[in-house]
Amino acid sequence: MTSLRDVWRSIVRRDPLSTDKGKSELVFLNLWLHIHPAKVKRENFKLKHTFYLGFITFYLFLILVTTGVALMFYYRPDAPQSYQDMKDLQFVVYLGSFLRNMHRWSAHGMVICVFLHMCRVFYTGSYKPPRQFNWVIGVFLFLLTLGLSFTGYLLPWDQLAFWAITVGSNIGGYAPVVGARLKELLLGGHAVGESALLRFYVLHVAVLPSIVILLTMVHFWRVRKDGGLSRPVWKLKPAAAGPLVRIGASAPAEVALRVMPASQDKTYGLMEVVTGKPIFETVTAEEEEDTVFSYPYAFFREAIALMATVTSVMAVSLFWQAPLEELANPAKTPNPAKAPWYFLGLQELVSHSALLGGVVVPALAVIGLLAIPYLDTNPSRRPADRKWAIRAFTLFVVVNVVLIIIGTLFRGPGWALVPPWVHVTGAE
Amino acid sequence: MKRRSFTSWGTAGLVALCSAVGVSLGAVVRFLTPSVFYEPPQSFKIGNPADFSFGPPTFLAEEKIFVFRDREKGFAVASAVCTHLGCTVGYFQDDQRFHCPCHGSVFAADGAVEHGPAPRPLVWFEVTAARDGQLKVDKDHVVPATYRLMV
Ligand code: HEM
Ligand code: FES
Repeated sequence: MTSLRDVWRSIVRRDPLSTDKGKSELVFLNLWLHIHPAKVKRENFKLKHTFYLGFITFYLFLILVTTGVALMFYYRPDAPQSYQDMKDLQFVVYLGSFLRNMHRWSAHGMVICVFLHMCRVFYTGSYKPPRQFNWVIGVFLFLLTLGLSFTGYLLPWDQLAFWAITVGSNIGGYAPVVGARLKELLLGGHAVGESALLRFYVLHVAVLPSIVILLTMVHFWRVRKDGGLSRPVWKLKPAAAGPLVRIGASAPAEVALRVMPASQDKTYGLMEVVTGKPIFETVTAEEEEDTVFSYPYAFFREAIALMATVTSVMAVSLFWQAPLEELANPAKTPNPAKAPWYFLGLQELVSHSALLGGVVVPALAVIGLLAIPYLDTNPSRRPADRKWAIRAFTLFVVVNVVLIIIGTLFRGPGWALVPPWVHVTGAE
Repeated sequence: MKRRSFTSWGTAGLVALCSAVGVSLGAVVRFLTPSVFYEPPQSFKIGNPADFSFGPPTFLAEEKIFVFRDREKGFAVASAVCTHLGCTVGYFQDDQRFHCPCHGSVFAADGAVEHGPAPRPLVWFEVTAARDGQLKVDKDHVVPATYRLMV
């Protein structure tokens, strides 16, 4: 008979964690943890380098998957039954409203955090070589996050949902040539109705989450393959000449190899030094001193971030109720009718010109974001060297935020400018 | 295998692959395009002429139309769907205009844009008398704002 100890050893095959080998094996031998390197630079833990925003975004996504699957047990994508199901979740199902709140608030949180994560990556210049393409993947993750949120918005089938999606999908309808067709494919009809609900549901629970999971895997993989996180900007020194690498220095006929400036951000793998390429000297002795084992140092911090995220979402969900208005009524438009808040900047533009706000500006914004790593060829990541890039991006962020705030708080009935502290009565 | 035949096979393979991908994509798009729209019919009867009063237009919520009846000119039917982003406009008797609640577009009584982001005037639908004497609206037939049906 196999002893219990042997059974345990068959499951957990690493050495005890008290040894360095065990700490490394915890990382190498574990499917979920092997995305980490065995050792990480201590400097990357600094909260002010990443604010853990990428992790928080990921944790919010995990919360969304968990609570979302729970909601699926009680939700039917069938109008107007969906609305009754939401009412049931709200008032009848045990913990239903709590789960719904968690799902709703983490969705909003994820939109915010993914945006902030993008900002931190920009401001630390972390999209520069070799990380250009991970930025591009990131932009797609950002768009997918918006798509998930948008498709989820319709599912409660209340007035808020119906009109936000009506307005939102009509914005897309303004795209030249393909607009009307796209809208028809998305809605499965000419207006928001039962087929739109079903389509949004399938996109929301199956198609988009799968793509997000796939891309997230690639995203994490590449963070690792790009040599871990970029160095904190305050550690960067003004550019120095790339180190000259010589092979066979002891031989009399010393040959200078072509000099390739080594990236200071990357730890090179063995396979990168085996062929005739120069050997990069990347990790200096002092830097090596500065690394620590991922277990427990990195895992501990990530666990704290996870607990903080879950606790905050739970706390918010205890005190704030996710909105549920009356049953969707295509005949009666609420006044004002607003798209989901993250599209209110666009709606604000659309209220001046539909083509400009609905098509031109968003298309330029997306193309611009995707192109950033390829347009900005300045190699330096030090803020002092990239004043104009930082100014331009800050302008983009500020304009976005201001437009969203105007659209959310300052637009009243008939889209008139109304400060949030003034209550307009009699608006229907 | 000769290099030449290898490249031509390679080209043929590439062409086959691209066409397969193209055809599949086309099939996906076609699959996602509904063959039947289970939506309210575009052409429908709205009742007898006598059901409609003179004066302010009658709003039919389900169909999203306004039915105007004028003693001299007869019947006309306007769409209640704002041409900006599809909200349902309201008709206000006091200023005889359509107001959109969403982004403040204002349309004159003939549907013309007076104010706001709407790019096009409200559309007017053809209204005819069916054989049984009822009024019939056809949303597939857009008519000029001057169109009237005398009964
Ligand atoms: C679903 C959305 C996303 C998730 C879950 C996610 C997750 C992460 C995580 C966990 C990291 C590790 C470091 C950190 O916490 O900052 C990271 C790094 C990174 N992310 Fe994201 N991210 C997402 C979206 C984005 C977006 C929108 C962008 C930019 C457009 C982006 C670009 C990057 C880049 C370039 C890095 C490497 C940064 C460095 O090396 O310092 N990601 N991401
Ligand atoms: S939908 Fe009517 S003004 Fe925008």
